[in-house]
Amino acid sequence: MDKHISSQFDAELTGVSSRVLELGGLVESQTRHGVYALAQLSSEVADQVVATEKQVNALEVEIDAELASIIARRQPTARDLRLLMAISKITGNLERAGDEAERIARMVKLILEQGSPRNLPASELRIAADLATGLLRKALDAFARLDVNMALVILKEDDLIDAEFNGFVRKLVTYMMEDPRTISASLDLLFVAKAIERIGDHAKNIAEFVIYVVKGADVRHTALTEIEKAVQ
Amino acid sequence: MPNTTQTPLKNAIEIRNLSFFYGTFKGLKDVNLNIAENKVTAFIGPSGCGKSTLLRTLNRMYSLYPGQRAEGEINLYGTNILDKKQDLNLLRAQVGMVFQKPTPFPMSIYDNIAFGVRLYENLSRSDMDDRVEWALSKAAIWNEVKDKLGQSGLSLSGGQQQRLCIARSVAVKPKVILLDEPTSALDPISTAKVEELVSELKKDYTVAIVTHNMQQAARVSDFTAYMYLGELVEFGVTEQIFMKPVKQETEDYITGRFG
Amino acid sequence: MTMQPSPLYRKRKRTNLMGLTLSMIAMSLGLIALFWILFVLFSNGLAALELTLFTNDTPAPGSEGGGLRNAIVGSLMIVGLAVLVSTPIGILAGIYLTEYGDTSKTAEFTRFVTDIMLSAPSIVLGLFVYAIAVATVGNFSGYAGSLALTLIAIPVVMRTTENMLRLVPGSLREAAFALGAPRWKVSTMVTLRAAKSGVITGLLLALARISGETAPLLFTALNNQFYSTNMGAPMANLPVVIFQFAMSPYENWIQLAWGGALLITLTVLALNILARVFFREKVKV
Repeated sequence: MDKHISSQFDAELTGVSSRVLELGGLVESQTRHGVYALAQLSSEVADQVVATEKQVNALEVEIDAELASIIARRQPTARDLRLLMAISKITGNLERAGDEAERIARMVKLILEQGSPRNLPASELRIAADLATGLLRKALDAFARLDVNMALVILKEDDLIDAEFNGFVRKLVTYMMEDPRTISASLDLLFVAKAIERIGDHAKNIAEFVIYVVKGADVRHTALTEIEKAVQ
Repeated sequence: MPNTTQTPLKNAIEIRNLSFFYGTFKGLKDVNLNIAENKVTAFIGPSGCGKSTLLRTLNRMYSLYPGQRAEGEINLYGTNILDKKQDLNLLRAQVGMVFQKPTPFPMSIYDNIAFGVRLYENLSRSDMDDRVEWALSKAAIWNEVKDKLGQSGLSLSGGQQQRLCIARSVAVKPKVILLDEPTSALDPISTAKVEELVSELKKDYTVAIVTHNMQQAARVSDFTAYMYLGELVEFGVTEQIFMKPVKQETEDYITGRFG
Repeated sequence: MTMQPSPLYRKRKRTNLMGLTLSMIAMSLGLIALFWILFVLFSNGLAALELTLFTNDTPAPGSEGGGLRNAIVGSLMIVGLAVLVSTPIGILAGIYLTEYGDTSKTAEFTRFVTDIMLSAPSIVLGLFVYAIAVATVGNFSGYAGSLALTLIAIPVVMRTTENMLRLVPGSLREAAFALGAPRWKVSTMVTLRAAKSGVITGLLLALARISGETAPLLFTALNNQFYSTNMGAPMANLPVVIFQFAMSPYENWIQLAWGGALLITLTVLALNILARVFFREKVKV
């Protein structure tokens, strides 16, 4: 981004962008740990994830306050305004992704307490989970570099996660039909799968906002083919 | 070439290939744009970009000074006002102007308003009284001065003086009102009052405003023109200019990266 | 926290004090001169300021008493006519120079000539008027006197009017033009009106100047021992009377001369004060 005449303004924008990336880093580690806790059924790691939640929430509040301050004082326009609007939404998305990660961790603890059967296809969730965390990482990268092409890639990859999710749901249904005693545990796993799918969606939203900042086009709720056209 | 959005509006003024010279210096370079009827068009740009120069061609104010000349066409409702045969006084009665510094005449408030009207109309005393009241009301200053119409125009505060000048312009019922940085010399409250006034005025008049204050242009205008070094860089609907300008130079100026 | 005065500061203080002292001395010298003049005038002329000064005419050589009535009336008429003629000419010329001519060759030339006339010795102007209005006609006259004073007053009025009009901001003129007013209306109804107090001040100062001019009147109006209101003939006037009486051997004449001088001085003083008061009041916007 080019420099403003007011270097103070530049510093403020850089500052708030860094905070967002900081938040992104926290949430990213939350999701990775959540997935790890799930795979290893580790209670300690799950606790870590829950503990991070406080930090994430505090950071979200801070960022929003900073945004309001900048808008009030600088009357930003065009690209600057779009950036700040995007940051506001991205922060929300990140915080909710963190919530999903926390949900996964809480599920893990529940599963452990209930002593559920260990022959559930939890490991199969791993693929989707890794995809989701990878996607989040990519989205944060795309934001850091305001890379529209990467954003497009992310939008496509989210479809993969959705496909994985659907596949997993079908597997679970098969399991539940075969052995009704696994229904309770299966439902728990379903919630986890849903959480992972939502994390992917949040990454996709972040990518959409990157396009908004760079191109000025609000591509939410638009088909992929339309988006590609808008971006050219 | 201007980057305009499609506007099915009637144009009060059409500017074609306008160039302006201060002696040998070219102050305006081949400007083309339309000023829509009953809308507010704002001109923004850094100092020396030619926005005031452009405004002053619209009522041929530059003709007062030898050595300044304009080339091209400016069509006011179909009549080219750059034509040599154009009657300048009649033109200025149709295209009014308010300046940066409030300039009340050294006469009573009543006479300030009546001065312009008396130039071209022969009104009876009561008709003139009505016209004065109407003009002062339009300028949102009637209530403040109705009891002291006999007092000198210079006895008012800065903001009131500027509104008096606006009333003076409105009183002769022009078709177009030109505002050259009308609030630069005013405090924030007076500025807000004048901006409110501009929004009201556009119902009956076409308004063109030059302003240094970008946020004012954003608040007040329907269309915005960004100028730089005598050229029209971009022209469009205000919302679009301030949210998603087409040219990078426009965005750089608007976001404070340049200028 | 106290600050130690540096040697540089002390030197500056000394220089400042020296400058201040020198200026005070210069000013007091000027003031002393002024007050001395006034003192001498008052002490010599006050005795003459009685009612008879205004009721009696100038006495014949050798006769007692007398006053300055004819001279006062004569001066009033000569100066009055000069003001009446020079005012419109000077103001209109001033308007031309600012509003119409401005930088044209005609205007530049006019200003050049005006400047010369402003600094021309008044005796030269008097001689000129003698040649064209006295010698040709064959007699001295009040009209010739007025003409000479007019020639002195016009450049003054013209210059001050021009200067005052130039002080009016261009934006005021433009505002009037922007309403579609023709140039003559802008000049008279707006610009001139805005410069009103300055122009009037200029008029008062021109008046003050010509009231005391002696040399031109010597060749034109000459003098008249008797009371006369006929401007076609020689007229009595204060400056010439003073000139004549001051160096005479007669006591009463000398006394009257002092009285006349005091009268003129007081008039000029009053006009200057009036001009100042008038201008200051109006300049408050």
